[in-house]
Formats: sequence, structure tokens, C-alpha cells
Amino acid sequence: MRVIWRAVAIVLFCAGVGLCQEPIPIISGGAGIVSTTDGGTTFFQPVLAPVAVFPLGNKFLFESRVDLREFVSRQNGTSGPWNGEFFASLEYMQLDYLASSAATVTVGRFLTPFGIYNERLTPIWVRNFQDVPIIFPIGTRTSAASVGGMLRGVLVDKPDVQLSYAAYFSADSTVEQFQSGRAAGGRASVFLPKHRVEVGASYQRYLQDEHLNSVGAHFAWQPRSAPLDVRSEFAYSPHGKGFWIEGAYRLHPSAPNSAIGRLQLLARAQQFYRTSIEVGVPDFMPRVDTTRFDGGFNYFLLHDLRVNASYSRSLSDGNNRNIWNIALVYRLPLIPIGGGRWLF
Amino acid sequence: MAVLTRATILGLLLGGLVLIASAQQDSNSGSKQPPAKQGKSTENGEALFETHCSRCHVAPDELSPKATRTVLMHMRVRATLTKEEQRALLTYLAPGGNAP
Repeated sequence: MRVIWRAVAIVLFCAGVGLCQEPIPIISGGAGIVSTTDGGTTFFQPVLAPVAVFPLGNKFLFESRVDLREFVSRQNGTSGPWNGEFFASLEYMQLDYLASSAATVTVGRFLTPFGIYNERLTPIWVRNFQDVPIIFPIGTRTSAASVGGMLRGVLVDKPDVQLSYAAYFSADSTVEQFQSGRAAGGRASVFLPKHRVEVGASYQRYLQDEHLNSVGAHFAWQPRSAPLDVRSEFAYSPHGKGFWIEGAYRLHPSAPNSAIGRLQLLARAQQFYRTSIEVGVPDFMPRVDTTRFDGGFNYFLLHDLRVNASYSRSLSDGNNRNIWNIALVYRLPLIPIGGGRWLF
Repeated sequence: MAVLTRATILGLLLGGLVLIASAQQDSNSGSKQPPAKQGKSTENGEALFETHCSRCHVAPDELSPKATRTVLMHMRVRATLTKEEQRALLTYLAPGGNAP
């Protein structure tokens, strides 16, 4: 542990004193306040998730994201005084070596590359629905992050098609803030730039406790002819399987600053099928088959500030319920540090 | 009580950030456009931005070439961009950023 902090201190020192002239370190990330009413129980969460990026020359990059949130709820669920609990979690802290377009080497704690949701859509200022999909734990257990090494890059780069990959291994770690499971896996994606269509597949071999295979497939489509955004994932594990599909449609993209043009309509459908109940280590998925429909909207108040609201109906044996989410989310400005120019 | 105090502090911090954002940004910038194009390489960068970046988010605020260079290193890892795409996007987002 001491070695890790020494390494971090060296990286910060190098960046801070400007040993690396270009590019410069920056801090950014997201922030928001999320209010949720789930089956009649209301809670809210102020969230701050800063991202720090420290380049070391043009080949090495140190980057980290932290999630700081307060979970505030009533003592007895629906009555009693409000209580809060503070959570701080290190989502990733990694050192990247950008060797070439075909190979980037990453070591440290990184987001597990399974599907597209974990790496691309988890930032609070990016996601359309504040609740993660039901199948999210498949392929990302135990903490959605891996501690080990990863190799990734673009193998084929043509005007009509791109083929990218990511392969990793993760060690078992119980160190506080560095928890991870022993696993190995990878992801391959084919992207058609002209059509903005992406399809891919993921695999993970979980090598700890109960050994098991998880597989997944993802699809994303942003047609050029319409302000439509479609994403979907399917995932399978011996404990359960399921899918989600999400669509977002921006109204009046030609007048984005009008009252209607700031509005984006959202819809998502999910299904999860439980095939076996976990033994020992929890798998963080519903214990019964669950179907869920979500509908909502984004309203862009400013360039980086939006109101995000949704209503969900969750259907499962003996636990049908409504879920409401209202959030104000904000992408933090990109703040240069350590020799950079402060933006404000 | 201490927990609620932390919640208050975090809430105030978020509120402050929103106020900073409000002061910093034009109120008519509900969907800020990327920088204006200035040449062929920039047009290529613009096409790349539409193809890759805007699939997940809108363009960031205008930045210095040094900061943009950092952002693109980050996105090269996160979004699996190639070195050539990184260079073209730098030209588009921060004209002059490729100069030595």
C-alpha cells in the first residue's frame, strides 16, 4: 500500500512542478443531486465525482476518478428523522502507456471492460437513467473495477470499419478502495463509422470462489439522419441473464436553444431472468425474474447542466413497484492545474 | 448530525459549482457548438467528432491546446481512438494545438 502512495506522490509531483511541459494536468468530472423514490421510500444523494488526468509526456497518462456521495434517507424508510451516510470510493486509478494505436497498456485499478455501460456510461453527467441496468453486475463483479493489467487498442482502422479490442486480467484484492475479484476477460467491438453502428462481444472468466463464465453482447446506433441514440446490451452468467435497450431522442435539434429543442425524450426496457441463486458471495442481481420499463427526459438548462427525470415500473413476483428519479447533473469544467491556466 | 452537516457541505459545494457554471456560460448555450471549422484537416476533425465523441457527449468548452491535448489522451484510452484520430481532433478542437 505504501508503495502505491509513493508512486502516486511521484506522479503528482512530476505533474505539479511542470517537469512535463505538454500536455498539462487537468481536473474535471461530474456532479449532481439525485432524488429517488423507490416503492414509496424516498432518499437523495448529492454526488461529486472528480476525474484527475495527469499526463507524463505524450506517452504516459495517469488518471483517476473518485465518487463521493452522501446517501440521505429517513431512519425507518418512510418515517423518522433523516439520516445520511457518506460513501467515498475510488473508481479507477490507472497508469496508461500509449504505445501505439493498436496497443495501450494499462496497469492499476481500471474499469472492467465488459459491454459498453461500465466504461462509457457510468459518469453521472453522461448516463440517461440514474439507475444502472439490472444486468450491470454481470461481468463487472465485484466492484466494476479490476486491479491488474489491461491491453487495448484498434486493430483495424479503415474508413468503413474499425475493430477494437480490450483484454485484461485482475487479481483478487481486498485492500480498502482497491477491492476486486480474480478474473480475466476481454471485449471486441466492430464499429461502422459511416453508419455510426457498433456491435461487440465481451467475455469474463471469474476465477475466484465459484469459477464461472460471463458473456455479453452490445449494440449502439446513432443514425446520422435523426437525433436518435440507441444502445443495448445482453449479458449471460450462470446465475442469470438479461438485456436492456435504451433510446434517446432530442427534439428540434436544429433549434437546440429553444424551449422544445432543449428536451430529450428517453425510454428503456429491461428484462432479467434468474437461473440460479448465488451461493456465498452475493451477485447483486434480483433474486427473481424482473421486467422493468423506464421513461423520462433530459432538459438541458445550460451547455453542461441538465435536469434528468424518469419514471420506472418494475415488475417481479410479489414486488411490483414504481421508481421515480429526479436529478440535476452537471459536467464540471475542465480545470488545468500544475502550470495550466485556471478557467475561472 | 455530523452526517447531515456533510450532506449540507456537499450540497453547498454542488450549488456553488452550478452558480460558477451559470456565471461562466452564456445562458443561450443550451447546446454549445464545437469550434468553427478552419480548413481541411479541421473538417476531418469535425467529422471525427461527429462520428466518435458526440455519440456520448457534446463538445467541451473551448480550451487551450495543452488542456485539449490532455483530454484527447484520456479519450484515446477511454474511447479507443487511434493516434491519427487524436491528432485530427486536436486540430479541430484546439486549432494550433499540433504546432511544435
